[in-house]
Amino acid sequence: MESFFEWLQGLSIANWIATDESIWSFPTILFFHSVGMGLTAGVMFIICLRLVGVGAPLPVSSMRMLFRIFWWGFVLNAITGSLLFAAHATITGNQPIYYAKLVLIAVGVVLAFPLQKFVTGDASDGIIPVSVRGIAALALAAWVGVITTGRFIAYLQ
Amino acid sequence: MNLVHLHLLLNHVPTVGTIVALGVLLLAFAKKSDDLFRGAFALFFAIALVSLATYMTGHVAEARMKEKPGIDAELIAVHQSAALLALVFMEATGVAAWFALWQARKPGGRSTWATSSVLLLSVVTIALMANASTIGGEITHPEILAPGEHVSAATGALAPAALKGAAIRYYQFHHPNAWPQLEALHFIGLSLLFGVVLVGNLRILGFMRNAPYIDIHRLLPWGVFGFVINSVTGMLFFVGQAFQYIDNPAFHLKVLFMLLAGANVLYLTLFDDVWALDTGDTAPLTAKILAGSQIFLWIGVIYFGRMLPYIGGAF
Repeated sequence: MESFFEWLQGLSIANWIATDESIWSFPTILFFHSVGMGLTAGVMFIICLRLVGVGAPLPVSSMRMLFRIFWWGFVLNAITGSLLFAAHATITGNQPIYYAKLVLIAVGVVLAFPLQKFVTGDASDGIIPVSVRGIAALALAAWVGVITTGRFIAYLQ
Repeated sequence: MNLVHLHLLLNHVPTVGTIVALGVLLLAFAKKSDDLFRGAFALFFAIALVSLATYMTGHVAEARMKEKPGIDAELIAVHQSAALLALVFMEATGVAAWFALWQARKPGGRSTWATSSVLLLSVVTIALMANASTIGGEITHPEILAPGEHVSAATGALAPAALKGAAIRYYQFHHPNAWPQLEALHFIGLSLLFGVVLVGNLRILGFMRNAPYIDIHRLLPWGVFGFVINSVTGMLFFVGQAFQYIDNPAFHLKVLFMLLAGANVLYLTLFDDVWALDTGDTAPLTAKILAGSQIFLWIGVIYFGRMLPYIGGAF
């Protein structure tokens, strides 16, 4: 694993991100990663709050297009996140909290599928089943966890 | 003009402004006018936003003034904690006023509970602002004191030690997880706020058309909740480590964008041209332009927030 991190960090793009002094390298990628977080976690918060039953009485079917934002935000953050990781792979790759974040992302993404299935389905504006509410509550907790662990990566080095 | 001038200008907003807004509120009671109630609530909300900048420019004034001859640094510290206490009540008034404004749109109409909270909080705020500004005035004008009069009469509970920058800074430095925990909360608040901003403005821009705006309106308190989380955590960063921010150009732009975006929230809460949007309706062009600008402004806030360590050297 260590040799993989070293190889990754030795790539010229990773080296550029880590060592370039301008705001166009690491800072700009970090900015896009934050916007991606706002898109992914932001719309997922709204979707989950609505499905749990504490959010606004929006028609559930009106939230279908939000999944497009969620997935685009996710793609943006998978790319920017990989670049940020590559720049400091030998450090971040040895942080347990980084793996906690990856697990929580996996949980959030896996749970997005049944939620999307319900919201895009024909019965979305009917009664929300208890199982969907439960999945939404779990997904909400997972994304809160992703943000929290993500923030701690920067401080627990 | 510099940021110290700006502090001398902006300090009239929470002091004189709250008195004017309270006058409008009392007039609204007398005239039983819903328009005047809305006007008073909107004023309190706007004053609460500007007061954040009033407080923060105060730290710039402190940094520039405390070394000057004839300036009592201790008095500045007293003024600062009195001002922070007043700010806490000012922001509580602003949130209550926003809530009253939002509540007034509900079928039941304006809530007495929210209205009385605004009234009560604003009276306390005016008293605390008067206290803070009295001390503030004496920093550069000690000559206005009567013979034998001491400014220290205004300290104690009205300038609590826990609200001193030094106390907050001590906590941040002595609890290794305090800073990252506040950061995590700040980013959770950001996501919640940004999510509501996106959904609300996307509806106005023409997406999610099978949702009537009334339903979007019910969502707004979640966005304001995110904004409150971020104001509290953000102010804790600022008060504890003001030296990182007061000369940081990214921070100045972040605050400017935030104030503009915050004012835009009033539009989503108050204005009839978006309120009237029913299922399937298209918003007028002006509403779409404002909706687009609001998304842009909040992305700007994220940008300058993220750039704090890189453009301005904050950690």
